[in-house]
Amino acid sequence: MNTDAPTTPGASSGSLLRRSGWRLERRLAVKPWHEVVTLVGAFIIGLAICSILIAASDKSVVDSYRALFDGAFGSRRAVYETLVQATPLIFTGLAAAFAFRARVWNIGGEGQFFAGAMGAFFVSNLWHAHLPRGVMVPVLFIAAAAAGALWASIAGLLKARYDTNEIITTVMLNFIVLLILSYLLGDMWRSPDTFYFQTVTLPESAHLPLIVDGTRLHWGFGMAVAMAVVVHVLLRRTALGYEVRGVGINRTAGSYKGISVPRVTVLVMAISGALAGLAGAAEFSGIHHRLQLDISNNFGFVGIIIALIGRLHPAGVVVSAIAFGALVNGAVTMQIQTGIPAALVDVIQGLSLIFVLTGAVAVRYRLQRTHTDE
Amino acid sequence: MNDVLEALINVGVLASAIRIATPLLLAALGEMVTERAGILNLGIEGTITVSAFGSFVVADKADSLWLGVVSGVGAGILLSLLMAVLVSSIKVEQVVAGLALNLFGIGMAFYLFRAVYPQTGSEMPRSDTFDHAEIPLLSDIPAVGEVVFSQHWLTYAAIGCCPLLWWALNRTQFGLELRSVGNNPAACDMRGINVTGMQYLALMFGGLMAGLAGAFLSVFLSGLFFVDVAAGRGWIALAIVIFGNWRIGRILAGSLFFGYLDAYQLSLQARGVDVPHQLLLALPFALTIAALVVNRRRSQEPLHLGVPYFRGER
Repeated sequence: MNTDAPTTPGASSGSLLRRSGWRLERRLAVKPWHEVVTLVGAFIIGLAICSILIAASDKSVVDSYRALFDGAFGSRRAVYETLVQATPLIFTGLAAAFAFRARVWNIGGEGQFFAGAMGAFFVSNLWHAHLPRGVMVPVLFIAAAAAGALWASIAGLLKARYDTNEIITTVMLNFIVLLILSYLLGDMWRSPDTFYFQTVTLPESAHLPLIVDGTRLHWGFGMAVAMAVVVHVLLRRTALGYEVRGVGINRTAGSYKGISVPRVTVLVMAISGALAGLAGAAEFSGIHHRLQLDISNNFGFVGIIIALIGRLHPAGVVVSAIAFGALVNGAVTMQIQTGIPAALVDVIQGLSLIFVLTGAVAVRYRLQRTHTDE
Repeated sequence: MNDVLEALINVGVLASAIRIATPLLLAALGEMVTERAGILNLGIEGTITVSAFGSFVVADKADSLWLGVVSGVGAGILLSLLMAVLVSSIKVEQVVAGLALNLFGIGMAFYLFRAVYPQTGSEMPRSDTFDHAEIPLLSDIPAVGEVVFSQHWLTYAAIGCCPLLWWALNRTQFGLELRSVGNNPAACDMRGINVTGMQYLALMFGGLMAGLAGAFLSVFLSGLFFVDVAAGRGWIALAIVIFGNWRIGRILAGSLFFGYLDAYQLSLQARGVDVPHQLLLALPFALTIAALVVNRRRSQEPLHLGVPYFRGER
């Protein structure tokens, strides 16, 4: 079997490439500007493909994208609304990014979002008559973080104790928490004055204060950005952050270095869940002011995508969350003005992610001219 | 209380349990084969949605149900080919690629749906649906005939697929090679088995089956398309694969059981019985987590599941 020598990656990509006088070569180091170019390129390719879709439905591409941009950034009000849309995505994006840094695959952001909102509703329902505003809102957020952390910890503990695949358990837990919420909304949490599956409206004293009066922009956005800073410091400047990154790079080596991998796994899950839970509280107390089944626009899942496009970096998460918020916000205007279905935004997001993923791999290689010209 | 008990063995409930189980079984069998080749495809939900749309739009516009099924399956295979390129060739993280596929697929299906059928009033566009395929003579047997032998042809096909698939996976060279790819791709590579090619085939089979599941939802069951047409079935299929411990017999049993739970709670709701039906719906997910814990010592999970294979590493 001595003919089975391992081959280089470039060789497998066919003789066609080799005959053309070029070959693929692994880069020794990927520079930051490579990544930026990849991201921007991915986004542009996503938009370009979607413009084919727009053109195919006999609409003007330029007008459509202009409407999209106007809706997202065209006015002061539009910018505020973009930030409103970005707020939950920053939280859920941070949640995913933090977990993925440790290579803990928390796919349960959606469920933890709802767990957080439920925790917030629970305490507000219990205590709103007794607590002043200055106390109520923080208590509400603490409860949300705790509930999100608790729900995520189930998957963390199962992984630490039984080595169950957290991808599967978090997905399952998403469904379970939604069904529990659906049960509660149909039963003891249902507002007595409605037929719908929704709770009573949150009293004014438990509303998140607004950053800009007359808009929907609430302090949840400020908190989200603050959390990005917290997560950055946590990762870079603390012992836990060191352990998280260590476990993420190499589990075995980490454990030889004295890191308790099970402990880190549970902690990472809990912190990630807490971040997603905060998103739930921000939407509940900042926007909807009541609990319903549709308060999440897929925030948990989109958060995962945002984390990846942001290269698992807190600043990257904030930027890509704002970009996604802008798309979602602009799409509404685009649909009204041009009749292009707002669902196009999901296509743009999905395509961008696909190209970001592809680009992230492609950037590790470069085309090199071979010297054996024939 | 009587209602609660009577619904347990009601003929209508049992018949609809098998109907509800069909797309679950189809998608779960496809996902099982995909996972056997080492690929965790989280994009089934999106694949089902795209296929449901593909079947619906062609069935409606071309006025042919069969063409509808074919194009639904084609759409499913196409989407899983994209997944194959991403995870087998480019080797991006499988979890992420699957989620991207969901977002892209569901967005695309809904975008095209709105582009083809601009929102006009409250009336939903509707396609024809297949009739139930009643098997002559057998469908006349009381009770059993209605439950088992008056289903759609795709239901029979899905159940018939189980022994065939078992034979193909466990009794053929090809099946052995496919399973080996999921367990030890490096050894397969050494033996001259085309790992990437196998994974492409496995993913395409998964896309075909998810495509049939999608077609079942639109042109067999309802004749409708809407954005939430898959309604979590892709994820339930994923659960069934784990619940069934990657074994075909148990996947069949799991699909029927989960379908039965759903049919049962639907009938309780229809009768206005005041039970927390959500808890019945949550049971499959809770049981799947339990199965993960209980089965961990004799798990049939492919050893290399979800890990991209790079030639020449390790």
